Formats: sequence, C-alpha cells, structure tokens
Amino acid sequence: MSFLQLDHVSKHFGGLTVVDGVSLSADKGEFVVFVGPSGCGKSTLLRMIAGLEEISAGDVSIDGRVVTGVAPADRNVSMVFQSYALYPHMSVRENIAFGLKMAKTPKDQIETRIADAARILQIETLLDRKPRQLSGGQRQRVAIGRAIVRNPKLFLFDEPLSNLDAELRTQMRVEIAKLHRELGATMVYVTHDQIEAMTLADRIVVLRAGRVEQIGTPTELYDTPSSIFVAGFIGSPKMNFLAATITGQDSNGLRVGHPAFAGGEIHVRPTTNRPAPVGSAVTVGLRPEHLTLGGADPLLTLTVDFAENLGGATQLYATGPGGAAVVLMVPGRPPVTPGEVLAASLGAGQIHLFDGSGAAL
Amino acid sequence: MRHVGPGRVVHACGLLLVVVVALFPFYWMVASSLKQQTDLLASPPVWLFTPTLANYADIFADSHVMVAVLNSLLVASCTTALAVLIGTPAAYALARFEFRGKADLWFWFISNRFISPIVLALPVYLLARQVGLLNTRLVLILIDLTFNLPIVIWICTDQFRSIPPDIEQSARLEGADQFNIFWRIYLPLGLPGVAVSAIFAFIFSWNELLYSLVLITSQALKTAPVVATNFMSGYELPWGKIMATGTVIVLPVTIFALIVSRHMVRGLTMGATK
Ligand SMILES: Nc1ncnc2c1ncn2[C@@H]1O[C@H](COP(=O)(O)OP(=O)(O)OP(=O)(O)O)[C@@H](O)[C@H]1O
Ligand SMILES: [Mg+2]
Repeated sequence: MSFLQLDHVSKHFGGLTVVDGVSLSADKGEFVVFVGPSGCGKSTLLRMIAGLEEISAGDVSIDGRVVTGVAPADRNVSMVFQSYALYPHMSVRENIAFGLKMAKTPKDQIETRIADAARILQIETLLDRKPRQLSGGQRQRVAIGRAIVRNPKLFLFDEPLSNLDAELRTQMRVEIAKLHRELGATMVYVTHDQIEAMTLADRIVVLRAGRVEQIGTPTELYDTPSSIFVAGFIGSPKMNFLAATITGQDSNGLRVGHPAFAGGEIHVRPTTNRPAPVGSAVTVGLRPEHLTLGGADPLLTLTVDFAENLGGATQLYATGPGGAAVVLMVPGRPPVTPGEVLAASLGAGQIHLFDGSGAAL
Repeated sequence: MRHVGPGRVVHACGLLLVVVVALFPFYWMVASSLKQQTDLLASPPVWLFTPTLANYADIFADSHVMVAVLNSLLVASCTTALAVLIGTPAAYALARFEFRGKADLWFWFISNRFISPIVLALPVYLLARQVGLLNTRLVLILIDLTFNLPIVIWICTDQFRSIPPDIEQSARLEGADQFNIFWRIYLPLGLPGVAVSAIFAFIFSWNELLYSLVLITSQALKTAPVVATNFMSGYELPWGKIMATGTVIVLPVTIFALIVSRHMVRGLTMGATK
C-alpha cells in the first residue's frame, strides 16, 4: 500500500464543489507536486491532507492509517504556508521550538533539534531575531525549519516560494530539492510555477477545476500530455496550437490538413486508439523548442512578426495562413527580419494531436 | 533652516488652541486644589497665589476620601480583570468560530450599550435588594461588568479577526490545543486591543457614579466619585477640598492611561492601514 493515499476525495463549500473525487497515491519518499491554474483547488486539497479542511467525501490515509477523521496535530504532518505563518511575537528559536514544546519534547532534545535544523538551513545566526527582522528568504527558511524539526511523516508545501523574487526562488528551489534528498521524506508541494513543478517533482498531479487532469512524471507530462489542457500547462513557452482537420488516413498515420502546413497537410501517428473520423476538427500541438528553422522537409510556412533576443536563444513570433500563430524557440541569433517568410521543421520531439474534446489522439 | 510655511503656523496654532481648551479645566482643578479659600473666592480670579497643600491634608485626614479611593480602586481593578478574563475568550470565539446564534449574540452584546443606564437604575436596585447585594462591592463589580463586557468583546473581537488565520492553523497543525492557541497566539498578538479595552473598562468603572450612588448607602463602601459629590451638600461649598478630591480621583486613571497609551494608539489604528 502506498504511503499517502487519496481515495475519491471531494470538498464542497455549500453548493460549490471545489475538489471533485480526487484519487491519487504517493510512495514513501516521493516528491509529488500539485499544479493547476488559480482556484482549481490545489490548496484545498493540500489542506484536506493536513486536516485543516474537513473532507466532504472520500478518505485520506497516511502510512497505512485512514486519517480522515483524525485531528491535524495527530496526523504527523508539517505544512509550510504561502504566507509562512510564522508567529510574529516569537523569536526564530521559539518559532521553531513551538511544535516540539506542544509535544512536550524534553528541553535538551529541543535544543539539539533546533541546532540541527538551523545548521541545515543556515539560520544559526538568526535564532534570536523576530520574524519581522528577517528577509523573505530567511523567513522562508524559518518556516521550513519549523516544519523539519518535528520529523513529520509527510511535508506539505503550499506555494512556499511565491513571495520571493526570481533569484531567491531559484536558490530556494534548489535547496528544497536538496532537503528532500537529505531527509528522504515524502513531500507534497503546491505550485503554479511549472518550472518548480518540472524540476522538483518525482510525479506531477495536474489539477483542473477540482479534478485530476493527469498524473505522471515530469517527462511523461511533457512528452505525452493526455489533453490540450496539460499540453498547454506544462512547458514554457506554451505549446503552439493549430486548429486543423483530419483529411484522411493511410499507412503513415492520420493526414491532418491546415493551410499553414507546407504542402497543405502532414502525417501524424496517433498515440491512442481514440476514433478520429475523416473531416473531424482536431488541434495540432507543436512545442516552440522543438521547431527549427529551415530543414529539408519543412513542416510549416510562416511569416515572422518579430523576434525576441534572449541572449543564448531567440524567441520568434510568426503567423501563417489560416490564423496560425506560432512561437519558435531557436538557439543562437538567426538573422531574421520581420515580414520575412521562412520554413520551419520539426527538429525534435513529436507532433501532438488532440480531438475535439481536447483529449490526446 | 527648515522653511515654515503659513499653513504650518495656522495648523500649530489650531492644535495649541485645542490643547489649551482641553487642558484648561484640568489646570483649573489642580490649581484650585492648591489655593486657599480666600484666593479661591477672589473675583476676578487670581492667577498668582501661594500654593498650599492644606486642602490635600484635609481630605487625607478625612478617612472617607482615602477609603473611597481604595474602594474605587478595588472595584475598578476587579471589573477590569474580570472583563478581560471573560471577554477575551468570548471575543476569540466570536472572531473565529461559526455557531448557531452568533449574530444574535453579537447584537445582544452591542445592544447592551444602547440602553441609558438611568433607565435600568430602578430595576437593578430592586433586583439587588431582592438578592441581598445592596451595599456590597460585588454588586458594583457586577453592574460595571455588564456595561464593560460588550466593550471588551467588541474591541477584542475586531482585534482577533485581524490575526491571519494561517497562524492559528499552523499552531493547530503543530499540536497546540484550543487553550494554547488562545493563550500563546491570540492573547499576545491581540495585546493592543486587550490593552485598549482594559483601559476603557477601568476608566468606565472608575468614573461610574449613578449606580454607586443608587446601590451603596454605607459610608465605608462608597466610591471616590460619590464621595466627591458629598462635599456639595451643606451650605458652604469647600471648593478647595472638592478640587483636591477631583485631582486625587483623576490622577490614577491618567497615570494608568499614560502608561498604556502606547498600546492604545497602536490598538486603535491597527487594521486602519495594511
Ligand atoms: N472557505 C471557502 N468557502 C468557499 N469557497 C472557498 C473557500 N475556500 C476556497 N474556496 C474556493 O475554492 C476554490 C479553490 O480554492 P483553492 O484555494 O484551493 O485554490 P488554489 O488552487 O489553491 O488557487 P491558488 O493557486 O490561487 O492558490 C476557489 O474557487 C475558492 O474560491
Ligand atoms: Mg492556493
């Protein structure tokens, strides 16, 4: 049995269903990330695991024990809040010691555990300060320190880095990854930053309007998104979508037509067995970083609108006939000028195809 | 040198005027308490006089005044302590829990203050007589509590609401029970509000005259404001003693308020800015 298990968990606020029958499981030591747009129920789901939010239906179990009706304190989980939720009137030391004191841990043990946590998080010199005397990153460390001293079975993070600036964010991201490796603890992490999701997660749970859209490793989600929603959510810049039509089927796969395609149509091999009748509307998905300029067998014919020089790479914004708007991420600084017509081909990855309902074909 | 515009001057003059108007009665009281009877009755009033402590010596020699001040101190302290002790947990419950009748309870607390105290004077007197509480300090404490509890609950509820719920949830997750959350999180973080409401409770109770007058007849139990009015009986008005008593009555409250005023200002403006 898995370490953390959610079994058809739902949450209703009055008549509003915020989390709708979510089932998932995580193994011991796994790093699970919840991603999804704002308001999709990520925090609510996390708080239900913590016990801070009542579960309307379904069950949560941690380490083989059903904890649905168990008080938060008895679930042996730690949570790092987006707001840090440090106790403003207590010193850093008292903040970290609070949970241990509540658990009536012996004094000498509290001291050693604080010292250990402070060393791991490099906040030894800050122990006697008050939270308001700390920077955002330091507060974040204290919040994490408060979580780790209790040796919980499960760590819950609710967008812990969203209040930090970009540089600190990257740094803390790396530190959280390191912490996970060192502690070997099971962690559930909420974010809507997909770089955090991709880099930290063993497995990502994509949520949409209270339901699980797809669960998989970062690579799986990137390579084989099960829907347009996941395809558009994972990856940056966002995947390009073209509204196309199925024009036929042969031994090379489905023939898909769109005016922007070089030659009017392309071949795509479907990855599923879903029906794709000729004439039905489909969406073609192309990752910006998979497209290259030129090539012997071009895929698209496009007109350059403008180019953004990112230093090591260039982001090209182009349009094509039939309302195609395509972004290309190409290495280096190709000499293109706005208005120039160019050919683009698929350098790596694959062409994604989604049917009218948004499901992958 | 910093430029001082005419606007600032007008502003300063206005402030000065307000301060003078506010403080003049106070000054007059203190000054009069230091005058001899002849200076007091002089017309036009004298501004320069030889101060005397005779009035103070008189009232302190009069054991009634001392006893009354002690009575007031006792009643006001007990009222304040009880109001805070009972009011803050109630405020916590109102601020953070949903329960049936919460809105009604809230309204009831507030509506307590709608009623003019004099309206209730007779019923309260009859009630107190019935249960044998006339001429006790307890009845004063109870009646002051009735009027003070809503203020404490009102101010503290507002204060507790401004504490981010995340902090409480974090504490709950870390194993703090209800009492510890209240004691270690809400009380210390809500301290400005608690201090403000304590000051209000103390001042109200200290100055309360009507019920002390109605419910207490025994000289040994009278409170300071009542004793101050006692001087006004008879044919002669001993202004010096009245003023000296007034000063003695006002002094404790003023000192108390000054000590906690730092909290008070912070408390009253808290939540106004974010
Ligand atoms: N106490 C509540 N009462 C009613 N609705 C609520 C309550 N708490 C949350 N919701 C609703 O539940 C939905 C999900 O909220 P939740 O906080 O879980 O979103 P989220 O995915 O964490 O979003 P974000 O990324 O913005 O933090 C939102 O539409 C929100 O309005
Ligand atoms: Mg959230």
